[in-house]
Amino acid sequence: MAKMWSVALREYLFNLRRPSFLFAVFGVPLFTLAMYAVIFIVIDRTENNVDELGIVGYVDQSGLLLDTSPTDMDGEPFAAYPTTDAARQALDAKTIGAYFVLAEDYLTTGTVDTYSYSSIPDALRSRIRAFLRGGIAERLGADVPLERITNPVNLTIHAEDSGRNLTESNVPALVLMPMIFALVFIMASGVTSGFLMNGVVEEKTNRIMEILVTSVTPMQLLAGKIIGLGVLGLTQMVIWGVAGVVMINLGQSLPFLEGIAFPTDMALLALLYFVLSYFLIASLMAGVGVVANSEQESRQFSSIISLIWVIPFFFTAQFIDNPNGIVPIILTLFPFTAPISVLMRLGFAAVPAWQIIVSLLILTVTTVFLVWASARVFRWGMLRYGKRLGLREIIGAVRRPPQFTTTASSGEVSK
Amino acid sequence: MQSDATISVRQVIKNYGSFRAVDDLSFDVYTGEVFAMLGPNGSGKTTTIRMILDILKPDSGQISVLGGVITDAAKDRIGYLPEERGLYRSVKVLEMMVYLGMLKGMSRPDARQRSLELLELLELGDHTKSKVSELSKGMQQKVQFAVTVLHHPSLIIVDEPFSGLDPVNTRVVKDLLLSFRADGGTVVMSTHQMWQVEEMADRLLMIDRGAQKLYGRLEDIRQQYALHAIVVEGQGDWAALPGVDHIEHNGREGTTLYLKPEATSASVLAAIATAADMTIDRFELAIPSLNDIFIQVVEDR
Repeated sequence: MAKMWSVALREYLFNLRRPSFLFAVFGVPLFTLAMYAVIFIVIDRTENNVDELGIVGYVDQSGLLLDTSPTDMDGEPFAAYPTTDAARQALDAKTIGAYFVLAEDYLTTGTVDTYSYSSIPDALRSRIRAFLRGGIAERLGADVPLERITNPVNLTIHAEDSGRNLTESNVPALVLMPMIFALVFIMASGVTSGFLMNGVVEEKTNRIMEILVTSVTPMQLLAGKIIGLGVLGLTQMVIWGVAGVVMINLGQSLPFLEGIAFPTDMALLALLYFVLSYFLIASLMAGVGVVANSEQESRQFSSIISLIWVIPFFFTAQFIDNPNGIVPIILTLFPFTAPISVLMRLGFAAVPAWQIIVSLLILTVTTVFLVWASARVFRWGMLRYGKRLGLREIIGAVRRPPQFTTTASSGEVSK
Repeated sequence: MQSDATISVRQVIKNYGSFRAVDDLSFDVYTGEVFAMLGPNGSGKTTTIRMILDILKPDSGQISVLGGVITDAAKDRIGYLPEERGLYRSVKVLEMMVYLGMLKGMSRPDARQRSLELLELLELGDHTKSKVSELSKGMQQKVQFAVTVLHHPSLIIVDEPFSGLDPVNTRVVKDLLLSFRADGGTVVMSTHQMWQVEEMADRLLMIDRGAQKLYGRLEDIRQQYALHAIVVEGQGDWAALPGVDHIEHNGREGTTLYLKPEATSASVLAAIATAADMTIDRFELAIPSLNDIFIQVVEDR
């Protein structure tokens, strides 16, 4: 046991200091922060542009608006002009920054023409829209608050089976959060299990494996590596999690992050899936590392494994169309795609409890089997150099009682 | 099995598919000796060592190490210097040694203390913070040797311990091996450097194609291969001496006198002493070098 912890501690500390790990852990949040800064600046500039435009004139040829005197509804500086010529003169004289014209047939066509010497910022469009809605409401004279006409639906989804109520304003959180979780997980587990695999390949090509196998049992070595690097991956996810919470709080003023909260219950379910599937990938990667001959060869294997992992992303359309359809259900139950599938589905609809239970069960069984099988392959492949192992030999190693072997053809026999 | 045998190998067979790597091998390694394993490339030495270390399992036969079937605890008392050297390349020397010491069951402070002592002894005291990849080949070799004896093993198995070392470092490693034996440790050494075996080994095993060819005390084996001949240096007509069958000039190595069956070295010496026209600078029994024995055994197969 003590030796296993020695291995775990060594793997943790050694890989923690790797430049590539530090880059991944701190680089990604820093990069995201930089993106934030850019977005802030861009949005800030857009907002300013509307204000820089100054007063916006309008000409109502349709006769829709009851009140043609200058309005400052919601503080918006709109000024009415009787004719397009008058508006044009005001624009040329720079008393107004832009003007728009409601065509005579506005009621049937909705045509609004905008004129300006500078570009028309996006934000102005929504201001014009709100202004016209107000005008229409006034015209109708109905006893309806203006607010309900401009925003008729404020949806709350009562997902009875998960007990989670989500108002419309956190819908982005529903869709975005699982995606972010999935990405964080893919990166964290990809980085750490990659280290695991490279470590094994390095120990094999360095021949230090000969020293290791006379000091520790393969199980101690494998378990130590998986635990040490698992904690490393967890460290990475915690750092990113903290960074995420900080950013969500910082980002409350951004329109697309408004109202997003850190969904704790989803995070916990995600964690459960992630721990299980980390063991799944890590033991698989360890197996690949011990079977492969070179770093290059192991990378080819590992990229196939990562590809299987992200299959659910290829089916995003199906997940959105029908989160409880056959494709999402299959991908939920298949252990390699389960974590990301479940999270994506949670984003779009409630997932029936039985599916979560069954998929967790399948995932657990598969993980236990793969850890066991890769321990066997590990023991068997540790000292085999120079020869790639065929699938049949690998299956043979899993089925045979564990022992080290070398083959005559490996060129490593008895010097 | 003898009670003072550190390693006991009995009728061990190991096949790789249809290839028999080790063929019915039996031998003992006694506590406190330097035991040499010799044999041409591919003769089964490394396979035998790996079976002793429990890296490979024999197909049949028994191996007992440090008093019984090898256990994980027994492995902590063994030091192994593999022929294909292995070190972590991008790790600092001291850090790597401490880790490998801990994997042999040492505590961190002990491993650190002992590593520093060994590095000092091997004149690597200035390189504790260097990365392994920054060291010269000879230095790496010494670090590898330090790792082998780091955990105070009672048995060390060293595969080609001198390869890649210059004469000075060869002496350093040799002295360490001998002082290890002086402290009661047992050494199993596999090498091709016959003169090292002649200088250091107490007993030896020579295998070829997985089977035993020679086994026993070094002196006994050399006596066994001793020719009925004498090597001399000096002046005179050696061929005319009574009891001499024929002679062979070996240049600087002197002249070998092959004796007739009834002659002895004493009778030849007496004949030289009484001969008036002969001077003698050297007179010794022609005992073949281990190198000659090795070549003879391999060529006779």
